Amino acid sequence: MTPLLTIATLFWRDQRRAILRGFALSAAVALSGIMLLALSGWFILAAGMAGLAGLGTVFDVFRPSAGIRFLAIARTGSRYGERLATHDATLKVLAGLRVRLLDGLSRADFTLQSRLRGGQALNRLTADVDALDGLAIRLVFPLLALLIAALAVLTGLWLLVAPSVALWVAGATFSGAVAVLAWAGKAAFGPSSEAEARRQALRSATVDHLRGRDWLAVAGRLTAARETVLSQDRRARAAALAQARIEHRATAALQAAGAMTLAGTLWLAGRLAMQAQITAPQAALAVFAALAMGELALALQRGIAELGRMRGAAARIAPLLEPRSAPAAPDVSGPAGLALTCLAVAAAPGLPPVVTGLDLSVAPGETVALKGVSGRGKTSLLNAVAGLVPPVQGEIRRGGTIGYLTQRPALVAGSLRDTLRMAAPAASETDLRAVLDCCRLDLPLDHVLGEGGAGLSGGQARRLALARVLIQRPGILLLDEPTEGLDARTAARVLHGIRDWLPDAAILIAAHRLAEIRFAGRTLDLDLQDSAA
Amino acid sequence: MAREPAPIPAELVRMAASQQRALRLSASLSTLAEALWLPQAALLAWALAGLATGRVVALSWCAGGVAAIGILRAVSGLWAAGRAEAAADAVIADTRSALLCRADRRAPEAAAPSSAATAALLVDKIEMLRPYLLRWHPVRARVAVMPLLILSVSTGLSWAAGLILAISGPVIPMFMALIGLAARDAAKRQMDEISDLNALMLDRIGALVDIRLLGARRAMLADFTLRADRLRARTMAVLRVAFLSGAVLELFAALGVAMMAVFVGFTLLGALDFGTWGRDLGLAEAIFLLLMAPAYFQPLRDMAAAWHDRIAAQAVARDLLADAAVPVPAILGAGHAGRALAGTVTTHGLVLRGHALPDLIIAPGEGVALTGPSGAGKSALLLAIAGLLPGYGALRIDGVPLGQSNADDWRAALALIPQKPHFRDVSLREELTSGRPATPGAIADALRLADAQGIVARLPDGLETRLGESGAGVSGGEARRLTIARAALRRPALILADEPTADLDDGTAEAVIAGLLEMHRKGATLVAASHDARLIKALPRRIEVGR
Repeated sequence: MTPLLTIATLFWRDQRRAILRGFALSAAVALSGIMLLALSGWFILAAGMAGLAGLGTVFDVFRPSAGIRFLAIARTGSRYGERLATHDATLKVLAGLRVRLLDGLSRADFTLQSRLRGGQALNRLTADVDALDGLAIRLVFPLLALLIAALAVLTGLWLLVAPSVALWVAGATFSGAVAVLAWAGKAAFGPSSEAEARRQALRSATVDHLRGRDWLAVAGRLTAARETVLSQDRRARAAALAQARIEHRATAALQAAGAMTLAGTLWLAGRLAMQAQITAPQAALAVFAALAMGELALALQRGIAELGRMRGAAARIAPLLEPRSAPAAPDVSGPAGLALTCLAVAAAPGLPPVVTGLDLSVAPGETVALKGVSGRGKTSLLNAVAGLVPPVQGEIRRGGTIGYLTQRPALVAGSLRDTLRMAAPAASETDLRAVLDCCRLDLPLDHVLGEGGAGLSGGQARRLALARVLIQRPGILLLDEPTEGLDARTAARVLHGIRDWLPDAAILIAAHRLAEIRFAGRTLDLDLQDSAA
Repeated sequence: MAREPAPIPAELVRMAASQQRALRLSASLSTLAEALWLPQAALLAWALAGLATGRVVALSWCAGGVAAIGILRAVSGLWAAGRAEAAADAVIADTRSALLCRADRRAPEAAAPSSAATAALLVDKIEMLRPYLLRWHPVRARVAVMPLLILSVSTGLSWAAGLILAISGPVIPMFMALIGLAARDAAKRQMDEISDLNALMLDRIGALVDIRLLGARRAMLADFTLRADRLRARTMAVLRVAFLSGAVLELFAALGVAMMAVFVGFTLLGALDFGTWGRDLGLAEAIFLLLMAPAYFQPLRDMAAAWHDRIAAQAVARDLLADAAVPVPAILGAGHAGRALAGTVTTHGLVLRGHALPDLIIAPGEGVALTGPSGAGKSALLLAIAGLLPGYGALRIDGVPLGQSNADDWRAALALIPQKPHFRDVSLREELTSGRPATPGAIADALRLADAQGIVARLPDGLETRLGESGAGVSGGEARRLTIARAALRRPALILADEPTADLDDGTAEAVIAGLLEMHRKGATLVAASHDARLIKALPRRIEVGR
């Protein structure tokens, strides 16, 4: 239960006011509902007894009936306020959770961040965040409202009816609901985690199957492989059914507990009335209060149904929210230019190094191209120089800020101006336009991109990503296959544009095309480097 | 109230058609559970009235009866839910299998939905049918039965009480419209907000590395917070109006209950002497009437609560209909194993993806390079020869048109080397052999031919390594060499290779060309779409596409 508590605490810390308002109004709705039913019940019985005793004319009808009307309207009004307040709180919590998550992930290390680019991991993440949305509105608010109502009923019935009845109504309802909640939370955790894992497996299997469908058809294995996916589906559905069964049992248990509480109240209050310790209207008041409490407890039903899912989601999300420091920016205080000494780098921490014993210096104004077959470590080397992964061995001295055009840069939705301003908030309009010119990108600054930079061709996206790096005027520029997707003429013009824009930068290119190698003053062949070492 | 186009509700009905009986049973059971409230309430009323009038009451029996009926209600509710759950499970199973079958036979066209989008529909969105079948179906039955039942029972006791409820009667259709209007807007807006916010977050998460490199972490967070807040404010504006309509509904229900309480109270006091069919209203009847009033409105409120499920299910039905309407044809044949069938390929007047292709004849054993500008239809032609892309015009194998009946047999004789290799999340051995038995010698030969022994030797678990998305990685060039080995293991009569050397460095490209040519020398027909001068030169025949 701890991760769920962690998330609830975060909500509380973030949105205390919104939650308090929602909670106060939930309690008001619960209380006015109970009082409405209890007062109506008392009124009918009292009126009936007065009528039978021939006291109909002296019975004060106006105060109770005004009370009933007032409570009816108060309940409606507070219900409206409650819905507004709880939704406002939920939306705030919803946004707050996402901001926190984004903050946490933005502090994560390079390995996790690059793994998150895959669609699968992201789908999982959003599904988990969505699952937690209901925590406040469907579980915490109803539970707290029930607690407040139980306390109010306890006090009210204690004073107006009898302590034993008060204890029974409040205690039985509340403890019944909590017992069902605890049981369901415990029983549903296993099946719900299993259902989630199975669903995950089905999703991956489906994507895998569909991506491989050409070859599967050619290999004559399409129908057989489909059967495998469908068997994953059978397992996923079986797990979902097991989860649902627990939810339905929890609902039935809540209803049965409500019925027992009601029956118990009738028996207890009825006995007191027959012994003339309380009046019949007082007994009715208690019975009707028990009835209303049962309805309140039933409101927990949906929250209980989602409890297992929420617990699983919280267990996965909570570690991502743990406070950690942002990755330190690399030290750039060395003498101008870039110097690598006896450097060994790996693709990721823990893997064997792909490049070893590398010595290289790039002076300001110089351009060096890295050559080598694919998988030879060009990208890993640039990642290490940029400070994304620590080197396995050796020293990197950076004498200037780093600008790095990665192999697969990601753009975000927004205008070209937004994109460039994200990199350089203080840049002037003239600068923004100049950098686009330099990258030979002939688009207006107001041009709006969709998600992930949708709406640009591959070549345009690459040039915009380059412009985003250049606008920061870095002292050291790292370029990973910068002209990928550009035709030869544009490629050459863009490369010369870069040098014109940054005449004094030390430029290191992971080169792939002849144009890039020609553009460099010096070429380092990693294939040869290795055989020499 | 805007009506959704008719096909969507019809699609929902069609999907649930096979489970109609189970759903009807579940709805009846759920209505029964609700209707059992009448005897339970009657028992409560009778007991309370007995206490007030001093009549001797068998209290234990009454309390026991109230508890027993309550438990019976819980049990029939449980039973109803179990039935509906099983029905929903069956509906989901059918819908999933139909969708998967449609999606995996779809020709590889750009217009085909992405695998991730199809998976999201198949796995997550279809799940939305579950709450719809579980909650909306029964609640609709309850709305049809309960108000009428309570109205007739109440009218039987007192026509004035019936009248009070009946005043709300004509209001019910209006209620429904109000509920619809309010809940639809609220639910839709909230779902939109969640998906907008998710999209916004995913966009940023996808770019986290870039944001870090640009040093824009704080600026990005501030911007996201601002945008998220703007989204919230806009959503709340819509919700406020929606909730107001909901409040009107609640007010009607609350006033109905209050009116009933006051009427019954005054009647008991003797202040009112009409509306009871000329006899006195007993105390038990009075309490019963009071208990009935909220129950009269309960199904409507349940309906409002379940409206969200209905909208979600309609969204799923809409997506499924859109998926079915995707204008992408299915591949020829079923995609299961066949008996290898070799022969001369002839095409006549073939039009694929809007490109008219040259007529050609490719005899067994030939080596052909398909050349021409990008986008001229070279890849499409290869796919069409493999029976994966139906088009206009004739494509024959030894004079027999390639169609449903012979496509699987034809494909059994060929191998396809795609431009972008995809390795499934299975062991490399399974991927290379496509699940057929193969001797270690045969595998070693195929790997040698593709110059890929070294790749396998480097992998952590050798042939048992999983190369899929979740598995160990190989570089693009290595993956290409493995697809050559995969093709070689099939001992194909025809090899279709799509840009086999694109994006490869010189050494790798030469290894790939050598592998292809070795298979060709051993007798396989080779058709390669390529821009690579080395490969084009090595093949005896060249066909220009797109001139």
